[in-house]
Amino acid sequence: MLVLAVAAVQVAAFLVADALGRPTLYVVFAVVSAACLGALADRGAFGVVAACLGGALLVALVYPLVTLVTVASPESVLAALARPDVRRTLYLSVYGPLLATLLACLLGVPLALLLRRDFAGRPVVEALVDLPLVVPHSVAGLAVLLAFGEGGALPSLPVLGAVPGLVLALTFVSAPYAVNGAREGFETVDRDAERAARSLGASRFETFRRVTAPLAVRGVLSGAVLSWARAVSEYGAVAVVAYNVTVFYPPAGERVQAMFGSVFVVRELDVNFDAAVAVAVCLLAVCVVVFLVVRALTRETGGWR
Amino acid sequence: MLRFDVRAAFRDDATTFDVAADLAVRDGETLCLLGPSGSGKTLLLELLAGFHDHAGRLELDGRSLDGVPPEERGFGFVFQQYALFEHRSVRENVAFGAKYHEDARDPDALLARLGVADLAERFPGTLSGGEKQRVALARALCVRPDVFLLDEPLSALDAPTRERLRDDLVDVLADETAVYVTHDRTTARAVADRVAVLRDGRVAQVGPVADVFERPATRFVAAFTGATVVESAALPAGLDAPAGTLAVRPEHVRIGVDAPDGVPARVTRAVREDAAHRVTLAVGDAELVAYAPNDPPEETTVAVPSERWHAIPDGGRDADA
Repeated sequence: MLVLAVAAVQVAAFLVADALGRPTLYVVFAVVSAACLGALADRGAFGVVAACLGGALLVALVYPLVTLVTVASPESVLAALARPDVRRTLYLSVYGPLLATLLACLLGVPLALLLRRDFAGRPVVEALVDLPLVVPHSVAGLAVLLAFGEGGALPSLPVLGAVPGLVLALTFVSAPYAVNGAREGFETVDRDAERAARSLGASRFETFRRVTAPLAVRGVLSGAVLSWARAVSEYGAVAVVAYNVTVFYPPAGERVQAMFGSVFVVRELDVNFDAAVAVAVCLLAVCVVVFLVVRALTRETGGWR
Repeated sequence: MLRFDVRAAFRDDATTFDVAADLAVRDGETLCLLGPSGSGKTLLLELLAGFHDHAGRLELDGRSLDGVPPEERGFGFVFQQYALFEHRSVRENVAFGAKYHEDARDPDALLARLGVADLAERFPGTLSGGEKQRVALARALCVRPDVFLLDEPLSALDAPTRERLRDDLVDVLADETAVYVTHDRTTARAVADRVAVLRDGRVAQVGPVADVFERPATRFVAAFTGATVVESAALPAGLDAPAGTLAVRPEHVRIGVDAPDGVPARVTRAVREDAAHRVTLAVGDAELVAYAPNDPPEETTVAVPSERWHAIPDGGRDADA
């Protein structure tokens, strides 16, 4: 009840500040109301200060997104969605990351399973898996282009401005999330439960099929979804490898030129601000849905049957 | 008959731990592996189950189990932390192994036998510790294992639950062949036909329960099974004790009205336990422990029937102590 009441008050305050054209008022109100809630929680001066600071952080995280949504009028979003290039962009922004996530899971989930056991060099493998997290993304794009582009390791694969190149770049930046999510999923599986299955007559494979996989599937799925969301948000690597992409677009029934979502938003800012905002809102909506799915998947422990 | 003479080394980051044991379990017998934490008893049990590689030999009824994977060994493992399948109902847990065993027992009959028939539709996450262990036991029973391997199945339970389940476990294991790991001498005494006391990965003594508890082979075994160890030189002459290093169980030490002709003793501590007072006595230069029904006076008398003294062989020095 309290949560709903606080949310209602915040929404009302935001709408009032928005109507007055004075957004600063809302930001101040949000931080002050956080301080009041901190005082109500009766945790002393530290509680008030922590609530104040935390409130400021939440405002910094949520306020820009809410502003983005309120700036985009429904008409402009619909108008943008009517544009063929926007539709192609949205298609590519869902399809490319999906392929990248499938590739990352296909190659990464077995690796996550291997990483459960200790072996010589495991720390090295773990470090290599995490390496893309610290590589600047435009650098990653350049590296992928040099490694797999013309004259690279995969001569028959079109990379520059092509879907395979886009997928490789997206896989590079998002694979750590798929592998680490799967690892967390497998780590939640009780080793003794697997041993129990073995002693009850199940072979290694049967144990994996009936015990390990059902218990780990939540972790693997949430890792995959995170990896997909990470790929959707990629800009730097895509801008280098696949600024314009030639892709088969089913509604058109032919190969067309399309741009990846984040790249489109950045370019469109100079051309048509409303369209950029509209596409940004659509991408945001897709990612929020994904975020809620991840939360729903990871909230309950225990596996699927 | 399960016979094994196995060795294995387990490496941690910095240390190596060796386990070696040469033991046999007769059909229908429960062998307890009794030892402190870190004595290697659980590792030894897991090794028998096929969860670790080992050297040496392991055979069941004359059939070698060396290199045989866990699923083909015919052992039923019961874990300290239950290890139930959280994503399956209680009935599905119990029936898990039926797929691989044509002669599997009926899951519902097993649940009824263990007093948890009403839990069949529930999931493990909603059960208490005692209920979980009953389900785990039913799950192992379902596949009619040739040998039960039990790893501290009662240790995670509170005292009343532990006692009830222990009684049921004694009934279940009555005609079964079992290896039962525990650090608790009371449990070992209640469930075992024979006991092997483990220390630092080696068997310190093996024998029938009464033998090991009444006639410990080393100081360590005496202390770990609850006997008091004293040097006869420290005892007053009136106690009629043999020479050497002696072990005596507290339940054989008589005090007060039970020892009218005993030697004088001073009570240094009396702690109320479940059914009796555990009394620590200063006798001569030695310390003895006894059980008394009532809180004893500070000055009392003590006597020990001469046949209750056990002279620990080899002066009571452990080979490796």
